[in-house]
Amino acid sequence: MATLFAKGIRLDLPPRFEGRIYQRPSVAGATSYPVVHAATFPLSSDFADFGGGATVGMQATDIFTVLFEYGPESVGRELFARSGPPTALGPNDFYPYLLRRGVGGQSGTQWFFTESGRPFTFYAVLGSHALRATLAPEVNTLLKQLTVLPASAASLSS
Amino acid sequence: MLALVIVLLVVVALVCVVVTGLLRSHADILRSLHQLGVGVGDPSVAPLPLGPQPVATPRFSAPGLPGERSSSTAFDIEGVTVGGDAVAISVQAAPLTLFAFLSSGCSSCAAIWSALGDEEQLRLLPQGARVVAVTKGPEFESPSAVSARAPRGLTVVMSTGAWGDYEVPGSPFFALVDGAAGRRVGEGVANQFSQIADLVRRAAVDAGPPGGARPGSPGRAGALGLDGAEREAANDEELRSAGITPGHPSLYPRSLDDIFASTAVLGAHPEAGYGPLAASADDA
Repeated sequence: MATLFAKGIRLDLPPRFEGRIYQRPSVAGATSYPVVHAATFPLSSDFADFGGGATVGMQATDIFTVLFEYGPESVGRELFARSGPPTALGPNDFYPYLLRRGVGGQSGTQWFFTESGRPFTFYAVLGSHALRATLAPEVNTLLKQLTVLPASAASLSS
Repeated sequence: MLALVIVLLVVVALVCVVVTGLLRSHADILRSLHQLGVGVGDPSVAPLPLGPQPVATPRFSAPGLPGERSSSTAFDIEGVTVGGDAVAISVQAAPLTLFAFLSSGCSSCAAIWSALGDEEQLRLLPQGARVVAVTKGPEFESPSAVSARAPRGLTVVMSTGAWGDYEVPGSPFFALVDGAAGRRVGEGVANQFSQIADLVRRAAVDAGPPGGARPGSPGRAGALGLDGAEREAANDEELRSAGITPGHPSLYPRSLDDIFASTAVLGAHPEAGYGPLAASADDA
């Protein structure tokens, strides 16, 4: 099992998954925050944060996930009221119309939450809506392996 | 006369002291040997029978010999990109993954770095084969130097651990992994990309569909039209073309060093028909 650890985020990758933790350079004074990609197919640094360039070529059994952190100003807002990521996603949590880039046959889900005082959104794409009952447990397994350190500790692990 | 007697008494007393000291020292040695399990003559136990005695196992032995090198185990790779991002590569993420273990300063690697950015060269690989360049970690390699070598679009992971996992003898070195089977199906050194492409092509054919037919299954070599005497003849021809004739020293390695320091290295499974890859490992 490979492990990703950077920016105060640790992810023990289940079988089939590979991943990347990165943070884009700040542009025009805007502050960027860490992004985690995990997928069951080869990842590229050219992929956009929410899977642009990645999801088009997915096979039916593929999974693509994004953990995207927001700035501290989002903490406490209603959108991020949920505590911790979902870890019991079921087939009914995935919808074809929830995709950021609509690719026929695929299915997606998105959740906003706060973990260790840090606001995130989690977005996942399944290669096949028809296979969501099989693929959703793999997403749950992935999320159960996620550990987020408080922002104060995150700076030490960068 | 009296003086002579006194001198003799003194000498006798000194000799007694020396003998007593020697006896005590001898007893100490025997006691120590006994505590180590190899003592003899311990008066507290019954005398040992005559004849050959069991020899106590030495408490300390030499370091164990290194285990045999695993040439089929595949490992996921975790490390960092040249930009410092954390990255983990799963061997299961692609049907075939070619790990190219390279260095920024290795002269033989220069042509490989260049080829990995050449679309025409990359087309020599089977469709679906993924290439990942693996350098040692930032503690041994300069990220900027690696970045300067790496063509745009090439996945590069800096990971010293991966070099250990795959027991890389030097660069350039290549390992080909069947993702579905989760095992290494070929490895070797080469200094031309066409040699690597040949290794990958042969391994892909030998392995059959990813995760499908395993070595030894019927028709495994049939896809190449090679079997029996034909296959043996093809292997012989390739060996000859690489300068390896009967009696060549590389055919009789006496140690791992002989294998990995050789200028001609076969794939992990010579019986599978991988061609010899003439190359030099100049950066251990």
